[in-house]
Amino acid sequence: MARRRGLTAYGFLAPGLLLFAAFRVYPLLDGLRLSFTNARLGRPAQAFVGLANYERLLEDTRFHVSLWNTLFYTVASTLPILAIPLLLAVALNRGSMRTVLRGAFFFPFTLSVVTVGLTWLWLLDPVVGPFNYYFGWLVGPGRSWLSEPGTAMWVIIATTVWWVAGYYLVIYLAGLQDIPRDLYESAALDGAGAIRSFWAITLPLLRPVLLFVFVTHIIGSFQIFGQVFILTQGGPGDSTRTVVQHLYETAFQNFFAFGAASAMAWVLFAIILAFSLLQFRLLRGHTEL
Amino acid sequence: MSERHAGVSRRTFVTGAAAAAGATWLARDPRRAAAQTKATITYWNGLTGADGKVMDELIDQFTKETGIKIEQQRIPWADLYAKLQVSVPAGEGPDLALIHTVEVPHFASDGVLEVIDESAMSSRGFRAADYLPATWQGGIFEGKRYSVALDVPQHVLYLNVKVMKEAGLVGADGRPKVPASREELVQMAKQMAKSDTFGFGIGTVAPGRYTWGFHNLLWQNGANVFTADLKRSALAEPAAVEVADFWASLFGQKIAPPSNASCRDAFIAGKLGMWIAGSWNFTGLREAKVDFTAAPLPRLFKQPVVWSMPHQFTFPKPKGADATKRDAAWTHIRWMTDHVADWTLKAGQISASRKAHADPRITADPVLRVLMSQGASWQVGQPTPRWVAAENLTRPVIESIYIGQKPARAAMEDLARQINALPV
Repeated sequence: MARRRGLTAYGFLAPGLLLFAAFRVYPLLDGLRLSFTNARLGRPAQAFVGLANYERLLEDTRFHVSLWNTLFYTVASTLPILAIPLLLAVALNRGSMRTVLRGAFFFPFTLSVVTVGLTWLWLLDPVVGPFNYYFGWLVGPGRSWLSEPGTAMWVIIATTVWWVAGYYLVIYLAGLQDIPRDLYESAALDGAGAIRSFWAITLPLLRPVLLFVFVTHIIGSFQIFGQVFILTQGGPGDSTRTVVQHLYETAFQNFFAFGAASAMAWVLFAIILAFSLLQFRLLRGHTEL
Repeated sequence: MSERHAGVSRRTFVTGAAAAAGATWLARDPRRAAAQTKATITYWNGLTGADGKVMDELIDQFTKETGIKIEQQRIPWADLYAKLQVSVPAGEGPDLALIHTVEVPHFASDGVLEVIDESAMSSRGFRAADYLPATWQGGIFEGKRYSVALDVPQHVLYLNVKVMKEAGLVGADGRPKVPASREELVQMAKQMAKSDTFGFGIGTVAPGRYTWGFHNLLWQNGANVFTADLKRSALAEPAAVEVADFWASLFGQKIAPPSNASCRDAFIAGKLGMWIAGSWNFTGLREAKVDFTAAPLPRLFKQPVVWSMPHQFTFPKPKGADATKRDAAWTHIRWMTDHVADWTLKAGQISASRKAHADPRITADPVLRVLMSQGASWQVGQPTPRWVAAENLTRPVIESIYIGQKPARAAMEDLARQINALPV
């Protein structure tokens, strides 16, 4: 009887599993196979080359630069991505204008990455962009923010925060709504101010939400591509080149080298997997509050 | 030189007019039109700008005259090339595609394009004598023809009358002064440069990484990306490094806009004086009502070479041969070649076929006249499958040089090494 129930369950799951196998598992494994070949898109003949594609990555200095830039972006963007939407969420949890403001902050996230990129590209144009015009008026001579190695990545981070803050804001707000109001009332009776309540009540009780934001942000950061591709194309030089951009160009611009690009994809996959496991291990004990 | 050109123009005008009249007669022949009523061909191109609308109009007219229907797919160039690479081997490619000249060698070597028999060309009236060598040769890779050129996007020097007037660089006749050498260009540019105004720029957007401009300067200095035998990169040779040094000095001396600026917007806003950019920009400048003139590209190095990148008609390899469709595609190429004057006038691109160059409507246009006068100086990329990949590698390197992040010589040597490591 139990066995039959099991079969029925698999029967219902079968369509989903089939699609999952065809469109997720098969491409993943075929990508692994391709990474050991010299496959090129459009050329039917391909030969097994062993670990050559992986060995080449050890010598590919542009891949190393891309990896370093991706790591830098991931680390540098984490604090603003965690903190700014949180502060906004706390500020917008109450108040008369909150609905309008929530909408306003969420709005950028409804835009596609291309729209965001092109808008900021125009705003930050060093010659005719309005940003430098007002910057020059208020602060001093403007700069070419996206074409200076020292500022380009920070601009990408700022643009990304502007773009995704609204999304994380909504998640934080949902978390804030779940915190019982009476905790704050008790704290107030005990003489705790707003800042003390934030550290002692809000932050600890938001920990599961923070973990979710943290993990999804780290995974997303390793795959950053769209903003960079539109804003700087990896420039100036290779200062903002990321792993996915390097992978994309290898696969779809330079000789359609699918073998080499698949090897990069698997290296990136291994890195993301390692980071995710590490995060879960470090934070596992703390989530079950 | 100009006299010889004028002589050719008169002769080609007469033959061109005769050919156009003949083509019109053929197209109106009811029997011919009826025979092809049923053919429908697919056509992929990357004409995503205003030129796309012009192409639509011409294709409508073509369908009316010949009965051949064309299903167009318009895809940004970079995506178009990836799509051709995937779909043609799978037998899902179009009957006709328009591609840039430098894409021909790698598509040809990958077996994406069909070889065009020279007799098929001559039987349809395509003759080398009707084309300038750069456009005619651009369709040939390793001795075989893969494409027929439609038009010649090319560089030209735009001069902003307002900016140059403010710097006192306009003659008594009201026309801006044209630099005759590299030194003069730099000196004039310095005269125009102010805090937010630049004297000289090269490239539409992102001048620091504008490979087509860099190639143009290389060619002017007798240098190139690959050696003559196409086996190694020639970018570490002294002539190429000299160009890279000049590239670094443009932004280094603050005469050119920052690496990621939009030169087009700066020129329209009156913040850029002299601008080397593609011929495809001039119709937009007119629409934006910018006070400008165009001049032939100045000789900044050893020779007055003008970068050009003809659009080429090609036949992606089909799954099975379909003579009717192929014939219909040929009819379209012939028709476009015969009506190319309309294309030139509306889309602003000079025709590859010289027959239309003498059309009085074209010679009456001052910018088109300048573009045509550059014909003898047109040069195209080298015919190697590695050209496009080498260009992709060049982009970030020349940007590093432009912004002074890397010294020119070391960067060029590194670039040459990267290009030499590309798979053959």
